[in-house]
Order: sequence, then structure tokens, then C-alpha cells
Amino acid sequence: MSAPLPVFDAGSARVLELAAALAIGVGFGWALERAGLASAPKLVGQFYGTDLTVFKVMFTAILVALLGSFWLARLDVLDLARVSVPDTFLLPQLAGGLLFGIGFVVAGLCPGTSCVAAATGRGDGLVAVAGMFCGVLLTGLLFAPLARFYESTGHAAWTLPEALHLPYGVVVGLVVAAGLAGLCAAEWIEGRA
Amino acid sequence: MTRPRAYADPYLAGLFLGLVLLTAFLVAGRGLGISGAFAGSAAGTVSMLSPSRAQGSALFSRYLGGDGLDRAWLLAEVAGVIIGGFLSAFFAGRLRAAVERGPHIGSRRRLVLAFAGGAVMGLGAALARGCTSGLALTGGALLSVGSWVFMGAAFAGAYLMAPVLRRAWR
Amino acid sequence: MGRAGRRALAGVALVGGALAPFAGSPYRAQRGRVDVARLAGVVAREEDHVTAVELAQWIKDRKPGLRVIDLRAADAFDAYHVPGSQRVDITTLPTTAFAPAETVVLVSDAGGHAAQGWVFLQALGHRQAYFLRGGIGEWMDDVMSPVAGRQPAPTLTRYFGGAARAEGAPPPRGPRRGGC
Repeated sequence: MSAPLPVFDAGSARVLELAAALAIGVGFGWALERAGLASAPKLVGQFYGTDLTVFKVMFTAILVALLGSFWLARLDVLDLARVSVPDTFLLPQLAGGLLFGIGFVVAGLCPGTSCVAAATGRGDGLVAVAGMFCGVLLTGLLFAPLARFYESTGHAAWTLPEALHLPYGVVVGLVVAAGLAGLCAAEWIEGRA
Repeated sequence: MTRPRAYADPYLAGLFLGLVLLTAFLVAGRGLGISGAFAGSAAGTVSMLSPSRAQGSALFSRYLGGDGLDRAWLLAEVAGVIIGGFLSAFFAGRLRAAVERGPHIGSRRRLVLAFAGGAVMGLGAALARGCTSGLALTGGALLSVGSWVFMGAAFAGAYLMAPVLRRAWR
Repeated sequence: MGRAGRRALAGVALVGGALAPFAGSPYRAQRGRVDVARLAGVVAREEDHVTAVELAQWIKDRKPGLRVIDLRAADAFDAYHVPGSQRVDITTLPTTAFAPAETVVLVSDAGGHAAQGWVFLQALGHRQAYFLRGGIGEWMDDVMSPVAGRQPAPTLTRYFGGAARAEGAPPPRGPRRGGC
């Protein structure tokens, strides 16, 4: 089996695909709430060094998906070439990332966790969602001066193995090593907090 | 009222989240992407009021192309996130109308910060073409260069801003 | 998840990560395997290609699972292509998904690229693949505008809207010839 679903009938395949999106979202929301990441005070503990749940959840997920996708692809269960890799736009993603991080600590929630917080009754989640919508809306409406920057330094679907001229498996190994080291460090830091 | 259950082990939650992401790869050939739903909704809203304005924006026009499934996919995903979050809180006894905030800040100020922070995240995610779910998680697992750059920058921005906001959270 | 669980998870990750550098490429298109002896046999038995007339018959008969892939440039494809065919650039052919049940017929200008594409698909495990022997050129010569008096399949020519031409007359609507 390889992605995406075979299109035996365009209509029913689309419905199935949306149903899959819904189910995947349910899993995502469930995991975030279970981990407590819908609680802003807990979430920002990451950036005060007291509660590193954000890092642990994020990097465990990345390592699982990284190793899973690599090995499933290697074993011909997943067709890696058919999975869309997010595009690279170096400068906008650097600048956007910095801004995002700043907003993250101000709001205490990110887009995904704010949706979950709102869904569980948290007023701050709801307001963060509203803020994000307005922020994107305003950005899109007043986008003209940013348009050139937005399209700069682009590099469709550029992976670390390609950029570093290393075999994919080597990069996987390096990221796993770094990730595990980071998670050990996180445990140690929390122990000292 | 049931006593709320303890939070799940972060490694277990991370494992589950990683498996959800893998399922998305297998079944749909793509990953997660929450900020895209916001951008798509904004694009759709503007398009309804002024189609030319929407098409003229380099940001919005991306979501108004031929592949309408993209927006539909993102909205279905967010709907799922809301349902999943609700269900998890329901079964864990954590459904609660409240404004979560640091111990030394009032609700009103907290809400102002939530809105402002959200707006800045909206700008950042728009520029970066994604957020933690679409870039850090999905792009991270797929080893996308820009996604790792985003992740590093986001953590850096947050750590740099944290001391400024200490009064709000600690 | 207790201590044991975490250790197990970390252990699995460690093993998975340690073996990854030695596993080769995860991309299917980089792991093609060619059984040269088998392919030579297939070629010798002429089971690697179809003629234009055979392809025309398949299309007319609505052969189930038939998928005609045109490897030519976009302008050539737009000017004329075999009805029902889809254009795929040869660089994206290795990553194009084909179902096991599909019968793939590759078409190019004169059959060269199509024959090469056939090898690619065989290397990636698609056995039910063929190429149009003489390419679009043969299709035009044998199906769309065959020489009168020597038409290989008049009914098929009529079916596809072609017409015989007099001996010596040039082809009416010639797609670019001399390509691969």
C-alpha cells in the first residue's frame, strides 16, 4: 500500500480523503490535549526551563514519524516520493519562525493547541484563535509590500540529505542521535528544575 | 464533578502523535497543517466579499486555486482537532470554562496577550507558510530544510521573548 | 509509560537510527533492480512492445486497466496525442504511480524514449508495461494516415477519425518527427 489512495472513483475518493483528514485531526487534537499542551501555563514552562513537555512531545513525534517513514519507505510500504515535503523558503521561514516564536510565548498557545484549548472551554484559546485569524487576515490584505520577500530564497521540497549531500539514511541516523541526546538532556534539565 | 485525570506521559503522547503523522503520510501523502486552515479560511472569507482582492493577494491566492480539496482537507482536519481535543478533555474530566493564565496576571490582560500573540503568530505562520504542525512536525519528520530553519527560529524567538513576559507567566 | 517503556522506545529508536545509514535509499525510484537476463528474454520474444495497430485495437476494445503514457514534450502532445493518453515527463516517470493491474503503454516520437522508459518501469517492478514500437510516427503511419492500398486496419483508421492518403502524399498533420 502506498499513498495516496487509489482513485477508483473521484467522488467517493474525495469523501474518503476528507474523512481521513477528520480522523487524523481527531488523533492530533486528542494527543495534544492528553499531553496537557492545551494549558498555556504548562506549555510556556518549556521556555522557562521548568516543564519541557513541548520538546518531549514534539521530538518524540518527529523521531517516530522520521524513523517510521524512512523504514516503511525502505520496505516499500510507503512511497516516499509521493509524500509532499513542505517547501523551503529560507528567509521567510527564518523571519516567520522568529515572529511565530515571539507570538507563541505572548499567547502561550500555538495554532493547534489554541484550537484544542478553545474546544475544551478555555477562553484564552478562543481569543488566541480569533487573534490568529485576524493576524492572517490582516497580513493577507496588506500583503503587497511583503510579497517579494515572501517569494524569495525559495527551494521547492529541499531535504537535509540533499542540502548536506549525505545519504538519506545517514541524516536519519544523525537526527535520531541528536534527538535522543536532546531528550536525555531534557530529562536532566527537568530533574534540576 | 469528576476529578481531572493526570496528563498523559509526554513520550506516549509523542509516540501517538508520530503514529498519527505516519498515518497521514500513508493514507493521504501529506502531513498536518493547522495554520493553513486559518489562511484558507481567511482567503475564502475575503474571496466571498471581494474576489479580486483575494486573488490579488499573493498569500490568499494560494488557497483559491484549482485544488479546492486543499482547503477542504485543512478544514476537515481542524474540525477533527476540535473534536479530538473535546473528546479527550471530556473523558479526562478537563472540560472547563476558564481563562488559563499565570498566577500574577488578570484575565483581561491575559486575553489581550492571547489575541496579540495570536495575531503575531498569524503573521509569522503566513510568512513561513506553516506553523508547528505543518512545518516543525511534518517538515521536521520529512527532513525539509526550511522546516528545520523555522523550528530553530521559532524556539529562538520564544526563548528570547520569555524573559520579557516573565511577569505574565511566573 | 513507565521507565521500561521509555527505555524500550529509546532502544527501538536507537536501533532504527543506527541501521538507517546502511539501509540504502528510501526512494523507490532509486532502488530499481534490473534482471538483465529476464529482460533480454522478454525483448527477444518481442513481448516488450506493441504495434500501433495493436494499441489502436486495445483502445477501441476499451481494454481494462489500459493506460497510455506519452513521454513527448508538451507542445508535441498538445498538437496531437493518442486519444486517452496522458502526458508524463520522462523525469517524473520513475515516481509516477502505477497500479499492479494497469497495462501501461509508453509512447514517444519514434519509440526510443518509450523503450528506455519501459526499462525503467521493469526495473521498478511494473511487468505489465509495453512501449509503442515506432512511437507516434508509427501511429500516424499505420492508423491515422496510412497509405491507401496498404492500410493495415481500415476499420481502426475510421474509428479514430483518420483517413488514408495517396501513395507519395505527405502526412497531413505531422507531429514533429525525428524526436526520440
